[in-house]
Amino acid sequence: MTLTQFFQNVLNGLSIGSVYAIFALGYTLVFSILGIINFAHGSVFTLGAYFTYMLTGLAVGFNGVLATTKLPFALPFILALLVGSALAGLMGVLVERLAFRPLRDRGSDRLLSLVSSLGVAVIIVNVIQYLVGAEAYSYRSDPFGLGQPTVNFGSAERPIPVRSVQLVIFAVSMVVLIVLTLIINRTKLGKALQAVAEDTVTARLLGINTDRLILFTFFVSGFLGGMAGTLVATSQSITGPYFGIAFGLKGLAVIVLGGLGNIPGAVVGGFVIGLAEAFVPSQYVAYKEAVAFALLFLILLIRPQGLLGRVQVQKV
Amino acid sequence: MRIRLSRLLAGVLLLSILAACGGATATTAPSGSGTTGGAATGEPIPLGVALAQTGNVALLGQEQVIGAKLAETYFNNKGGVNGRPIKLIFQDTAGDEAGAINAFQTLINQDKVVGIVGPTLSQQAFSADPIAEQAKVPVLGPSNTAKGIPQIGNYIARVSAPVAVVAPNALQAALEINPNIKKVAVLYAQNDAFSKSETGTFQNTVTATLKLELVTVQQFQTTDTDFTTQSTNVINVNPDLVIISGLAADGGNLVKQLRELGYTGLIIGGNGLNTANIFPVCQKFCDGIIIAQAYSFAQENAVNKAFREAYKAEQKKEPPQFSGQAFTGVQVFVEALTALDSKTKLNTLSLEQIREQLNTQILAGKYDTPLGQISFDPEGEIIQSKYYVAQIKMDETGTNGTFNFIR
Repeated sequence: MTLTQFFQNVLNGLSIGSVYAIFALGYTLVFSILGIINFAHGSVFTLGAYFTYMLTGLAVGFNGVLATTKLPFALPFILALLVGSALAGLMGVLVERLAFRPLRDRGSDRLLSLVSSLGVAVIIVNVIQYLVGAEAYSYRSDPFGLGQPTVNFGSAERPIPVRSVQLVIFAVSMVVLIVLTLIINRTKLGKALQAVAEDTVTARLLGINTDRLILFTFFVSGFLGGMAGTLVATSQSITGPYFGIAFGLKGLAVIVLGGLGNIPGAVVGGFVIGLAEAFVPSQYVAYKEAVAFALLFLILLIRPQGLLGRVQVQKV
Repeated sequence: MRIRLSRLLAGVLLLSILAACGGATATTAPSGSGTTGGAATGEPIPLGVALAQTGNVALLGQEQVIGAKLAETYFNNKGGVNGRPIKLIFQDTAGDEAGAINAFQTLINQDKVVGIVGPTLSQQAFSADPIAEQAKVPVLGPSNTAKGIPQIGNYIARVSAPVAVVAPNALQAALEINPNIKKVAVLYAQNDAFSKSETGTFQNTVTATLKLELVTVQQFQTTDTDFTTQSTNVINVNPDLVIISGLAADGGNLVKQLRELGYTGLIIGGNGLNTANIFPVCQKFCDGIIIAQAYSFAQENAVNKAFREAYKAEQKKEPPQFSGQAFTGVQVFVEALTALDSKTKLNTLSLEQIREQLNTQILAGKYDTPLGQISFDPEGEIIQSKYYVAQIKMDETGTNGTFNFIR
């Protein structure tokens, strides 16, 4: 492997990994507060991408019951991205109301909410397909106005191209990571969230409105999911209603690898899996997922708490 | 109150799902009396259609559903099977083998169909067709082009010409555009039976027939969306031609990422990319993709003109190959049923007898279809006289494109 190829692989890995990281951030947030996996995250991710699509004033295709309809207004892309993400955030709140709260109120096993969130995910995906069909959708080309499709990190004779849109995703996942970390560690709201994460009952006794905070968590998680969906769709287009579901399993691997509920861990996990995939030799590249999951398996054997996770001390 | 609200919402969502399922299996009734004045009446004859209406293959399946429904309307307006209408019964196969098997079993055992048009993928055909073969139900594959499909059994035939016959035409067309092609890179989806079969044909044509240099073979999966690694691997070996065998969403993304990362040479797409549904995926980068065709909307016979007009009226664009082949599949069933009914009245035969004699009739007949004049060899392989090659031309906005026939 030449040095150019090595750097190309590193940049490829970071670019693939940033997609996993941005998906996993919203995913891990819910886990860090509630200790549960929200399987509907992938479908909220998908919804966010479709919301943005509609808000930019583009029409539904020829399939589905909403065929050829479009909104009477068109927002600029960045605004549509924010409003679409906010709508996805509201969807996250709805998911909490439908799939999590009824079970939590009854004190059911946490495993049950795993299944109920999976159910909501399947419903959302099918409703999307019913409404807008299974065809692929994409935004107007170059929505960020980047001008050139790639940035060359090498020289003219030895190019190391990286797609510009991947750089945007990388940058946004970094910003989200920093903002989330600051909110959780430096604000009163963050302290309250940590208290809820530590012990919901005690937090409630101390006067923290836990239901509202949980709703807030789902809103932020949905917002991040929707934004991630839109960003990934600018890179890969919305390939259909199943678009986000494909990231669900990989996203789970990413947050387990990084340390369940650890927010910087989600980003590190994303990059590690991205890099592992990028360094798979070209003749085995179709099996890159197997390599990624084998790596996950190995790391878990050595560090069961994940890369950045802390060992849970069980108090008796 | 809180619980009631969430229950209400759950109920609404559930209803939407049920409606969605209903929508997926609904059939179009023969519309009105038609212009020919001979619309079919009487007890309808159930014909099964097992296509991918959901899942990532739905991109192709939806085009097929449109073609099949247009055929149902068209032939019922023309009098159906000697006055009796046909009724298409749709079962969604989704994109995998299990879905195809379920759809076939439901159609055969519950819906009691006389025959089946489907499934969408060769990959699905290899697991679902043996079920029909065992039950002695004739199957016409509308888009199964992998090697070995008609050989699955006596009851299995196809209206989709095999990839070994169609695909090499695209390479000839590419060499006409650029006679200096020396180095060829090939990419294929290794988890899809059809793509594997197709890439075999492509690779064989490149090395054995045309004596070109195969500089790299890259694999991917149909579920992949990121092709950074494969694209940079291809660009590193600097090919003059790239050949892709995959499906619509992955193939489109691969083309887009390959172009964005700087590949400028010619691209040949396989049959899985042969759909306007790739336009939103690769947008302006779809421009110039060369794809061999088993169907051309410009084909000049009466039935294709009628099909093309009906398709354009409904979809506002030219009919693609997948719709044309699905239409043909239904047509072959209708015409074979009509021929059979003229010999022995269908209502005097048991379902088993109809299925068995229908199969013999299908293989014996000649059909004037949107694909041109077709017939079958004794194994059930289609005999088709003409193939085409199209090149995609995108408009300036990169949202709409057309298939321009270049051969």
